[in-house]
Amino acid sequence: MPNSRTGPRAEPASFRDPANRVFHLDGDVLRGLDEQAAGEWRALTASEFFPPLLATGKVCGTEAVESPTVPSGARWAAVLRHERIPFVSHPYEWSFTMLRDAALLHLEILRAALPAGFTTKDGSAYNLQWRGVEPVFIDVGSFTPARDGEPWAGYRQFCQTLLYPLLLGAHLGLDFQPWLRARVDGIEPDQMRRLFGGARRLLPGVPTHVHLHDAMQRRNARASTADVRSQLRAAGYSRELALATVRGIEKLVRRLEPRPAASHWVDYQRTCAYTADDRAAKERFVTEALADGPRPRLALDLGANDGRYARLAARHADYVVAVEQDPGVVDGLYRDLRAAGERRILPLVMDLADPSPGGGWRGVERASFADRADADVVLALAVVHHLAIGRNVPLPEVLDWLVGLAAPGARAVVEFVHPGDPMARRLLANKPEGLFPDYRPAEFERLLAARCRIVRRLDLPSGTRTLYAAVVGG
Amino acid sequence: MEHLAYLDAGSGSLIVQAVVGGVAGAAVAAKLYWRRLVDRFRRQPTDQR
Repeated sequence: MPNSRTGPRAEPASFRDPANRVFHLDGDVLRGLDEQAAGEWRALTASEFFPPLLATGKVCGTEAVESPTVPSGARWAAVLRHERIPFVSHPYEWSFTMLRDAALLHLEILRAALPAGFTTKDGSAYNLQWRGVEPVFIDVGSFTPARDGEPWAGYRQFCQTLLYPLLLGAHLGLDFQPWLRARVDGIEPDQMRRLFGGARRLLPGVPTHVHLHDAMQRRNARASTADVRSQLRAAGYSRELALATVRGIEKLVRRLEPRPAASHWVDYQRTCAYTADDRAAKERFVTEALADGPRPRLALDLGANDGRYARLAARHADYVVAVEQDPGVVDGLYRDLRAAGERRILPLVMDLADPSPGGGWRGVERASFADRADADVVLALAVVHHLAIGRNVPLPEVLDWLVGLAAPGARAVVEFVHPGDPMARRLLANKPEGLFPDYRPAEFERLLAARCRIVRRLDLPSGTRTLYAAVVGG
Repeated sequence: MEHLAYLDAGSGSLIVQAVVGGVAGAAVAAKLYWRRLVDRFRRQPTDQR
């Protein structure tokens, strides 16, 4: 996210809870708290459960600002400074296992908070972000003292933005990302009920969290939550029961596994047309391009596949965002990175021909991918032909888009796959002949040179691919 | 300390959590519904006037 250096800028995603609000100021992420929230923050820091969550990084690093430069007037009783999340992502850009791990962290935090007399006001997937492949709970303003005899206020939101998408993936093999991208509040129980008819209504978690939940919502539509809260309290709902509920959901979520869809991308690195010589030359070229110049803060790997080049980039950059359109491939990459203990690569699911648009209130609550990308290095390896031929995007537009994702002076490493390359031929075979007259190495180079200063070029030994290292706008 | 819940937790979503919480929770939900039923019968004579 670009830094604001012109005074406080209110975070567009932080407005739903009036008790606190996030601001950006000179690269700092600040949170203003009203009188009550400030008191709750003090209670939180004095609690037994919260400091260990901070120390282990499960909750994003947060400290009170001693002499606060209070953003936007004197409304705030206290101001907190948060750790900067290297790249903000949205749940519809995460893979199944990422969403599940995020859900499990949310539940773990709630399970730690409840015995200490705290709860979270909400249960949204947007409470979570990533530090590489490590989920982080970011909504410190969500912690609040729990009242005895009250169920979790965030349960519905948890279902809609975390549990239901996971049920879609685990039980139906559906990709949840389009559902979450289209609905900022997630999937409603009524929609889920329609998808889980017949024998599917007996699948784990479905009878209670979907069907019963939906039925209860409809039957209690006219009862206020205040009335229901006092009725539940009178009927003996206890903190232990709230804890048992959270444990039950946790057990369910832990059991949910992704259903792998057959995808030709899963074996792409193994089946694609690189010879050993090509690969070695390509790796050398990319490494040199990454090492040539100041250390990049953020590198984007577009069309990351199994993350080979993202890993290479991580040796030279502070943080790498590896974007890949196939959710199954991203899930595999996420699991591999976790297993390898690699903490500086964030894998994301996104179709590059349909990148995340702005979403939510006024289309700015969830920033678009283009607004978040401000990379010092952009890797576009074996991806241009998929956009230009596979998706019919005109070459000049592909390059405009690539350049738009980079900060001024950033480096770009771009691979051009010649029309005669086996992979390009495969794509061209599905299109009418003569559809892409401009898809030629010379034309590509001319277009690239009009937008960047080409520093180096290399024809791979097989002769059908050319690599370029360029400086954007240089 | 009273807090303001900024989020509509959903009445049905609150009750269903009791049921999810195992046998003890189901008992709480049953008790809630029993009380509602009893209240309805108690109120009826006044409602009919």
